[in-house]
Amino acid sequence: MAADLTSIKLNPDSHVLLDQPLLRLPHELVKRNFRNTQRYVERERDQILPSLKDTANAALSSSQTPEETLASLDAMIQRMQTFKRKIDKLHAEEETLHEHSAKRIRHLQELYEIPSLADVKYDDWARTRLDRLMVDYLLRSGYSKTASSLAETKQISHLIDLDTFVTCHRIASSLNRGETKDALAWIAENKNSLKKLITAPYKCTNLEFELRLQQYIELVRAGTIPKKLEARMYAQQHLTPHASSRPDAIMQAAGLLAQEPNTEAEPYRGLFAPSRWRHLSNLFIETHHTLLSLPVQPLLHAALSAGLSALKTPACHSAYNPASSSTPGHARIATNTSLCPICSMELNDLARNVPYAHHTTSFVESDPVVLPNGRIYGRERLEELQRKLAMSGLGGGEGGIHDLQIGKEGEVRDPTTGESFTWEQVKKVYIM
Amino acid sequence: MEAIQKEHDKVWNSCKQSKTTRHVDDIIVALQKARDAIAEDPTSRQVTLAKLQNPVKTMFDGIFSGLRDTHGLHNKYTRALDKVFKDKVPSNEIDTLSSHPTLINRAIYLHLLREGLFDVASTFHSEAVEKQQSQQETATNLDLDVPMEHPLGLDKSSEANMQEQFSNMYHILSELKDNHNLQPAIDWARKNAAALEARGSNLEFELCRLHFVSLFLDRRDEDQSDFDAPMRALQYAQSEFQSFRGRYLVEIQQLMGAIPFSSNLSESPYNTRFNHSTAWEEVASSFIREFCSLLELSADSPLYVAATAGAIALPTLLKLQTIQKQKRTEWTSQNELPVETPLPPSYRFHSIFVCPVSKEQTTDQNPPMMLPCCHVIAQESLQRLSKGAKFKCPYCPIESHPREAKRVFI
Repeated sequence: MAADLTSIKLNPDSHVLLDQPLLRLPHELVKRNFRNTQRYVERERDQILPSLKDTANAALSSSQTPEETLASLDAMIQRMQTFKRKIDKLHAEEETLHEHSAKRIRHLQELYEIPSLADVKYDDWARTRLDRLMVDYLLRSGYSKTASSLAETKQISHLIDLDTFVTCHRIASSLNRGETKDALAWIAENKNSLKKLITAPYKCTNLEFELRLQQYIELVRAGTIPKKLEARMYAQQHLTPHASSRPDAIMQAAGLLAQEPNTEAEPYRGLFAPSRWRHLSNLFIETHHTLLSLPVQPLLHAALSAGLSALKTPACHSAYNPASSSTPGHARIATNTSLCPICSMELNDLARNVPYAHHTTSFVESDPVVLPNGRIYGRERLEELQRKLAMSGLGGGEGGIHDLQIGKEGEVRDPTTGESFTWEQVKKVYIM
Repeated sequence: MEAIQKEHDKVWNSCKQSKTTRHVDDIIVALQKARDAIAEDPTSRQVTLAKLQNPVKTMFDGIFSGLRDTHGLHNKYTRALDKVFKDKVPSNEIDTLSSHPTLINRAIYLHLLREGLFDVASTFHSEAVEKQQSQQETATNLDLDVPMEHPLGLDKSSEANMQEQFSNMYHILSELKDNHNLQPAIDWARKNAAALEARGSNLEFELCRLHFVSLFLDRRDEDQSDFDAPMRALQYAQSEFQSFRGRYLVEIQQLMGAIPFSSNLSESPYNTRFNHSTAWEEVASSFIREFCSLLELSADSPLYVAATAGAIALPTLLKLQTIQKQKRTEWTSQNELPVETPLPPSYRFHSIFVCPVSKEQTTDQNPPMMLPCCHVIAQESLQRLSKGAKFKCPYCPIESHPREAKRVFI
């Protein structure tokens, strides 16, 4: 069938959509590494060249003793050696990142060699992908121990970015606890790239400003006169430089000085609210992920919500489907086919609010027949169930299956409800 | 992907051959040399230092030109990535799951159990409880509300039960697959015989039959004659097959019939019964299916099926999102996706009925109705066509009253 051929076609280019962070992240890290290298080199050049020149000039004008010249050369050598250690470290880091990328490219390459979705190799690949998605989800949710143990068991450590997420989560939870130190240090580390983020087209909220504002709020909250004075100093140093981009926020901050922490007046109540820390923590995560080209939502969410919808049918939450785990007292006779994943208890609740898949043509078992209770099945499935039941001594005579003409004599068992009928009661039905 | 590979190779090579470190070394050597020269002959220091200026500057310039090259390669690699990953991973717009972390956690936990990763599952469990506790502490400190439900959405009894059931399943499976020991599986099937029979399952007989076959084929060193193994199988059959006699007589007869042929089994008509390389795999997977069914779980992990189906459907949904954004339209029906998301046939679990008149899928609210002529249409179509009076079936000449239509379940 043509339809079946297209439905198992594997188009790797669109299929790797979910896998882009796999290559993007290490590349972002390489670029960051590169920028750091560049910065170090610039700094050293701007130090060494002038001081070399000064030393030479001083030697020429004989304003320096030879000992002093030697000392300043020693200082330069010292400096260069520290610099070399830094560069070596960055270089080693870069090598590891490239090695990771190479392994990941190879992993993605495997997908390009799989001919179709029905191939066994696709199954293996997709299982590894699920492991990756789960690790990604676990890391984002802060379950780093589980994540690393899963990665280790499945031997996919080269496909996950444990350190990046652990660092991110550490800073985010420090914000949740009401501490700004780690977050500000991270901002200082990434200052230049963050500047680019704040300007269009990303339209990220300025994390640094929000953090500074929070520190200011904490100073005001303390309430004593010296603290409030300190708050004013702090605002001048850290908030007023942003006056052009965030005029409203600065005005509000100024107004805050006149308020008590337990004020009911908005917007001051919102500024004093403890939930602001949670907001900051989320803002940090968002900024961090955007900076590293990581999707803000866990990849598992994207995959699952699409998958739940694609699999879901109106029957999955139907009151008349005993196989669905949402049906109270659902029968376990169910069917002699495999249970639907959406009907299964693991995903049933989760899928409740997603839309079901769109279909333009009916799909029913071939040769459909209707039982007196209105249930429709393929004739073959009913016959097979009868055969099996007869084999296990039910629904047929003691004589076994041989004297029995399956599909004509004996009783028909409804695979869903377990009711029994005779074959005379079974009618052909036409599904267009 | 090949383009990415190629560009990455270039970047990596340039990293391996990076001259930065060498230039830095050169600078250090140059400085050191100058220092040594000056230490030896302080009078030469003007000349030495003057001579040092340009080389050091050149070396720094060398570093920068190397960095510039690397930068160019980085950009090329970025472009190669952009070419393959044209679209961003869809963000919150399709994300309806963020509000249900507990349900996702539970699905993952059960998936881990199901895959037999008991260590990972228990790490997850303790970490989740730990995390919730610390969150509660922070929240009380900051005066916030937190959910008090179990972080994995399990109640105590089902949690212990699931773990026990699955570890039991893996014990039986590992005996079956690794040691070819069928006894634990047979014991399990006997214990659950009633439930299995109600499902029309032949698992117990399948297991016993395989046991017979493996005894039959199992030649041992201490055997006196070629017939010892078939005789052991026969003894097994005599003791164990009694209860199957009524139902599986033919099968048993076939198995017995093979005994005289044991010396040249491969040429006998019984060969297919015995020479079955995948028999163990088949029995194992039918065991998993039955075991999970009795637990009211699907045989393959739902999380795996759903995530894979998601990866297959995602490109289509993303395209839809892009189009919706461009045209500024929204899909009015909340319940149904606006496009078809074709999945391979193995991902079909239910029959689908699309009303041939209205082209809509039937639901509990708009169920399929069968007319007396055995054609099926949706209830709403029926009402619209008949307007309460007698009407002609849209597919055949037979007329009927809407009263005569019967609700069916597809």
